[in-house]
Amino acid sequence: MRLPDRVTGSFLVVLGAAAAYGGWLLPPVPGQPVGPNVFPLVIGSGLALCGLAITFGIGSTFEEEEEIIPIEGGAVRPPPGKLYGLRSLLPPALLLFYVAVADRLGFIITAALIVYATSAALGARWRLALPLAVMAPIGIHLIFSKLLRVPLPIGLLPMPW
Amino acid sequence: MLNTLMEAFALISTWEVIIALLAASVYGLVIGSLPGLSATMATALLVPVTFYLSPIAAIATIVAASTMAIFSGDIPGALLRIPGTPASAAYADEAYAMTRKGEAELALGAGVWFSAVGGIAGTLSLMILAPPLAEVALSFSTFEYFWLAFLGLMCATLVARSSPVKAIAAMFIGLLVACVGIENPGGVPRFTFGFTDLFGGIEPIPALVGVFAVAQVMRAMLTPEPPPIPKRKFGSIMAGQWRLTKKYHLQMTRGNIIGIIIGVLPGAGADMAAWVSYAMSKRFSKEPEKFGTGHVEGLVEAGASNNASIASGWVPSLLFGIPGDTIAAIAIGVLYMKGLNPGPTLFTEKASSMYAIYLMFIIANLLMIPLGIVMIRLASHVLRAPRSSIMPVIMLCCAVGSFAIGNNMFGVVTVATFGIIGYVMEANGYPVAAMVLGVVMGTMVEQAFVTSLIKSDGSILPFFERPISAILAAFAIGAVIWPVVVWLWQRLKRKSPAVTPAG
Repeated sequence: MRLPDRVTGSFLVVLGAAAAYGGWLLPPVPGQPVGPNVFPLVIGSGLALCGLAITFGIGSTFEEEEEIIPIEGGAVRPPPGKLYGLRSLLPPALLLFYVAVADRLGFIITAALIVYATSAALGARWRLALPLAVMAPIGIHLIFSKLLRVPLPIGLLPMPW
Repeated sequence: MLNTLMEAFALISTWEVIIALLAASVYGLVIGSLPGLSATMATALLVPVTFYLSPIAAIATIVAASTMAIFSGDIPGALLRIPGTPASAAYADEAYAMTRKGEAELALGAGVWFSAVGGIAGTLSLMILAPPLAEVALSFSTFEYFWLAFLGLMCATLVARSSPVKAIAAMFIGLLVACVGIENPGGVPRFTFGFTDLFGGIEPIPALVGVFAVAQVMRAMLTPEPPPIPKRKFGSIMAGQWRLTKKYHLQMTRGNIIGIIIGVLPGAGADMAAWVSYAMSKRFSKEPEKFGTGHVEGLVEAGASNNASIASGWVPSLLFGIPGDTIAAIAIGVLYMKGLNPGPTLFTEKASSMYAIYLMFIIANLLMIPLGIVMIRLASHVLRAPRSSIMPVIMLCCAVGSFAIGNNMFGVVTVATFGIIGYVMEANGYPVAAMVLGVVMGTMVEQAFVTSLIKSDGSILPFFERPISAILAAFAIGAVIWPVVVWLWQRLKRKSPAVTPAG
C-alpha cells in the first residue's frame, strides 16, 4: 500500500480543507468570539499546509529507510501476484462481517468463521485451523461472557453457561 | 508519608491485585516474546478486561504487562534476530551475534537483569520527579496547559523516525479525529454527519486497538512467517550479571538517565530510548569496534534504557494527562475510566493510589527476574506457536474487546476503520504514534486553547505574558522551527559544492 507522496499529500490537502470549511460552517456560541468552529479551522488549515508540503516533497530528506532485517534460513518468498496486496484487507473486512452478522448468527458461530478465515489466510492447514475455530471462540466466550459479563450476542448457538 | 505508604500497601495487598499482577505479567511476557506483537498492543488489548477490575488492579495489569513485554521482546531478538517488540529492535543484531558466539545466556541474562534495574530506576524517577512537579503544576492556568500540550505534540513529531512534515500531518489527523462529537465548546454535533453513534466522539481505546492490533494482523497477512526457534539448553542465566554490573555501571547509569529523559518526553517511548542509548553506548565506548560482533556493552545500556522509559513515561501522564508514550496513552484512558483523572491534585488527594502505583512498578520489576528466567527457559516452546494460531485469537480479542468498551457494535466498526488507517499511514511513512497522541490529547488541547482564547478576548498576547507560559512557548516554538532550520541547513550544505546537478 505504498502510495506516492503526491497522492497522500493531495489527499491531506483535501481533507484539511474540508475540515476547515466544515469547522467554519459551525454556529459560534452566541456572544462569544470563539466557539466550536475555531479548533477545526486551525487543525484543518494546518493539515492542508502539511499536505501541500508533502505533495512538493518537502521534508522527505528526513525519512529513514526502514531497516529490514533479513531472516536467515527463511523460506523464499513467492513472487507476489497482482491481488496479493488485497489480502491485508481481510482482517478489517472480517471485523465488519462480525458487525453485520453477529447479532443474527450469534457470537460462537461468527467467531468460529473469523478464526477459520484468519488462520487459513495465514497458511494454516485445516488440521490446525478447524480445532482452533472450535476452541478459540469458546475460550473467549468463557472469559468475556462468563467472567467479565459482556453481553455477547447469543444467536443460533447458545452456550450452556 | 508513612501513613500513606501503609495505605498504599493495604491497597495492593488484596487478592484481586495480586492475581491481576501475576496474570498480567505472564500475559505480557508471552505477548512481548511473540514477534510482531508489541507491548503497546498487549496493553491495548488488556483495556476491556480492566473495566471489570478495581482501579488499583486495573492499573496493576497495565503496569505489569507493559514492563514484562518490553523485556521479553529481547528473547526472540537474541534467539532469532527478530525483535519481539520494536523496543528491542535497536540491539537485536548484537544479541543475536552473542547467541551465535554461544553466549545466549549472557545476552538474555543481561536483558532480564538490566531491564529490572532500568525499570526500578525509572520508578525512582517517577517518585522523585512527580510530586515537586505537581506543586509547580498546581499554579498552571489554561495558557500553560495549552503550551505544555502543544510542546508535547511537537516533541512527538520531532522524535519520530520519519519526515517531520508527515509526523505533524499525522498529529493533525489525530487532533481532527478528536474533533468529532458534541464534546466541544459549543456542544454542537461536529463532524458527525448525522450518525448518532458519532455524537459521543470516537473513543481513543478502540482507535488504539485498531491502529496497533488490527493493523499488525493486516501486516502479518503480507509478511512471511518467522522461522521456528531452534531447541536449545540454557546454562545459568544470571551468572556473570553482577560482574557486568560492576564493569559497566557507568553505561548502565547513563542508559537509565537517557531512558528516563526520553520516557518523560511526550510521544517518545521505549523504542526511541533503546535506539538512542545503543547509539550513545557505541559512540562513547572504549572499544566501539567490538559493537555488532556480539559485545554486551550496548545491550547493557539499551536494556537499562528502554525499561527506564516505561515508568518515567507516567510522569507527564499522571501530572498533565499528556502521555509520555503510547503505552502511557492507554494508561491515561484507564485512569480516566477509573476516576483517577490525571492532574497535579492526584498527588495530594489520591496520594495513596500514587504510592500504590510506585509500589506496583517496583514489584513488577522485581517479579520480572524470576518470571523472566522461567520465560527464557520456556521460550523455545512458546515461540513454536505458529502465527496462524495466534493472530485469529488476536482478531477475536479485538472484536470482543472493542464491543465490550461501550457494549455496542460501533466500537468494532471503529477498530476496523482505524486498522485500515493505521496500516495505510504506517506503510506510507506517517508515524502512527503521533496520530495516537493527537487522538488522546485532542479534547484537552482544544479545551485549553479555546478557554485561553475566551479569557484573552481573542488576543494572542496573554499566551506569552505569564513567566512559565512564556518559557513553555519558547520551547514549543523552538520545536516547530528546529526541523525548518535543519532542513535549510541541509539544503545550503548540498548547494555549496554546486557541482551536483539539481534534482
